[in-house]
Amino acid sequence: MKFSLLTIALRNIKRKPFRTAVLVTAIALLVSILVFGTSFLYSVKSAMERASNRLGADVLVVPTGARSFADEVLLETKIKVFYMDRSILDRVREVEGVSRVTYQTYLTTILGLCCDIPPTTVVVFNQETDFVVNAWLNESFGRKLEKGEVIIGNEAFENLGLLDVGRSLLFGVEFNIAGVLQKTGTGFDNAIFMNDENIDDVISRGKAGVKRGDISLVFVKVKPGYDPYTVSRNIEGAILEVDTVERSSMGKRIISTFKDVSSVFLITIILASVLSAFLAWTVFSAIVNERSREVAIMKAIGAKGSHIMMMFILEVMIIGAVGSLLGIEIGTFLSLKLSKIFGLLKDISISLSPVEQFRIGLLGFLAGTGICIIGALSPIIRMKRLDPYAAIKEA
Amino acid sequence: MRHIEVNDASKIYKVGDLIIKAVDSVSFNIDKGEFVSIIGHSGSGKSTLLSIIGGILSVTSGNVYFNGRDIYNLDEHALSQYRAEKIGYIFQFASLLPVLTVRENLLLPTIFKAGTNGNVEQKIEKYLWMVGLQYKINAYPSQLSGGQQRRVAIARALMNDPEVILADEPTGDLDEITEKETMDLLKRINRDSGITFILVTHNLDLARNAGKWLKMDNGRLKEI
Repeated sequence: MKFSLLTIALRNIKRKPFRTAVLVTAIALLVSILVFGTSFLYSVKSAMERASNRLGADVLVVPTGARSFADEVLLETKIKVFYMDRSILDRVREVEGVSRVTYQTYLTTILGLCCDIPPTTVVVFNQETDFVVNAWLNESFGRKLEKGEVIIGNEAFENLGLLDVGRSLLFGVEFNIAGVLQKTGTGFDNAIFMNDENIDDVISRGKAGVKRGDISLVFVKVKPGYDPYTVSRNIEGAILEVDTVERSSMGKRIISTFKDVSSVFLITIILASVLSAFLAWTVFSAIVNERSREVAIMKAIGAKGSHIMMMFILEVMIIGAVGSLLGIEIGTFLSLKLSKIFGLLKDISISLSPVEQFRIGLLGFLAGTGICIIGALSPIIRMKRLDPYAAIKEA
Repeated sequence: MRHIEVNDASKIYKVGDLIIKAVDSVSFNIDKGEFVSIIGHSGSGKSTLLSIIGGILSVTSGNVYFNGRDIYNLDEHALSQYRAEKIGYIFQFASLLPVLTVRENLLLPTIFKAGTNGNVEQKIEKYLWMVGLQYKINAYPSQLSGGQQRRVAIARALMNDPEVILADEPTGDLDEITEKETMDLLKRINRDSGITFILVTHNLDLARNAGKWLKMDNGRLKEI
């Protein structure tokens, strides 16, 4: 490597390995908290948004009192059964501003009793009217489901141990597993889908706990020019047995819970930042005191203030960068491995795209390196302004 | 035009009510290529005077001209350039950076000089050969004796082709034999390269190596 101020900075970093390690560790911890916290919060928010956006419906209609169930089934993958009469579908269709409607019925498997798979949600949908599942079905499968066929959500495929299993017993009826859906980022990733042509067979075996004519949820698309909120109010006004949820308000309960969590993260990050900056200040104050004679010599043989500044800034940037990269690794690892231990998150389909991960990593890198520089800046400026004669005389 | 002209230069410190005249109205001239000794007791102001000439300590009053230019009228940037390009400094203590090898310590002044050309490796070889330490090129200062470190510092002072070398008690902590070798080396460089030398010492025997003596006493220049 060509000799430069960088060479001196690197040698000085190696000079006191323990002190360097302490500062690198502090920055790594700060950045890992930042990356972990940001990934955690960002992935929840983005999972909520992605899931509600991908539903394709503007308004959801559920039985009265089951408003929160919509979130729980569609976003959080919770197993819930709730039913209303199918006649609701026709009444919703008549409401002003409603363009299209479709429905889904949710069933729950019970291992050993009705089915040969652990408890999971089975979504029965109508392929003729559907505008929610069909889009994913076409992407992954390329054709419609036949009677006697089911298709498995992306995560359910692995979670339920259905790998390489061609057939499965559901509610006393044997089904062909026709394929696996691509990841949707919604609660449907953990579900099994069947066409409503099968519902009569299922009901006739009496193992599904559902009656003929029961449906769980109606999906509504509003006409162009109509506001989903107004249509939602129209539906609730016209049909007393139902509640409605607009797509834009889906996941609000979870997001509002996470606002409190994010405040805790924010305070932790601020405190950790102040602590790291203080540590950088302490370490670099000690460093500049030890090296004031060397800096004086460098100035006496021609170094400008900018040379001195650059040498120390390079040193602090390298320490900050190494700490930040380490912190990004730790934070990302924690966010991937530990998120599932949090009860609130374990049912949410969480995944960040490489771009989102890169952005969070970049934020962590800039914050870690920046805080290290801010902390060390005051002692470095002191060195830049060092009077070489006084420092040499002291030596 | 004189090479160096010190004109009524004073350096005065105030410590509470006490006024200390470290250098008191000193005037003298030095021509190019001269070997000048500044002698005097400890605290007489000789090192302060050397620092003033070296551009690391400003005067309270008076002027210091280098090739006709008042160095304390220069801005910070130009003064650093003066130190990098015109002056080679040899200190009275071990002044090599401990984290750098001999080669890197010699390269150090070159990164402060604008437009340093590509023949630095040849210069390193030449000056290390001149001080007899070519075989120590990759050694760290801790692996060198005091005399060897001083010789590396001399080689470092030559790296930017200075016009003046300021040596502040360069043999202060060396044994007699090493002291003589070092002085012989400085004289040889002065003779061969024509570089002006200003040597600060309290040792009269060493001062006799110079062509011109300046004696400092209580901040004043007593005799020439």
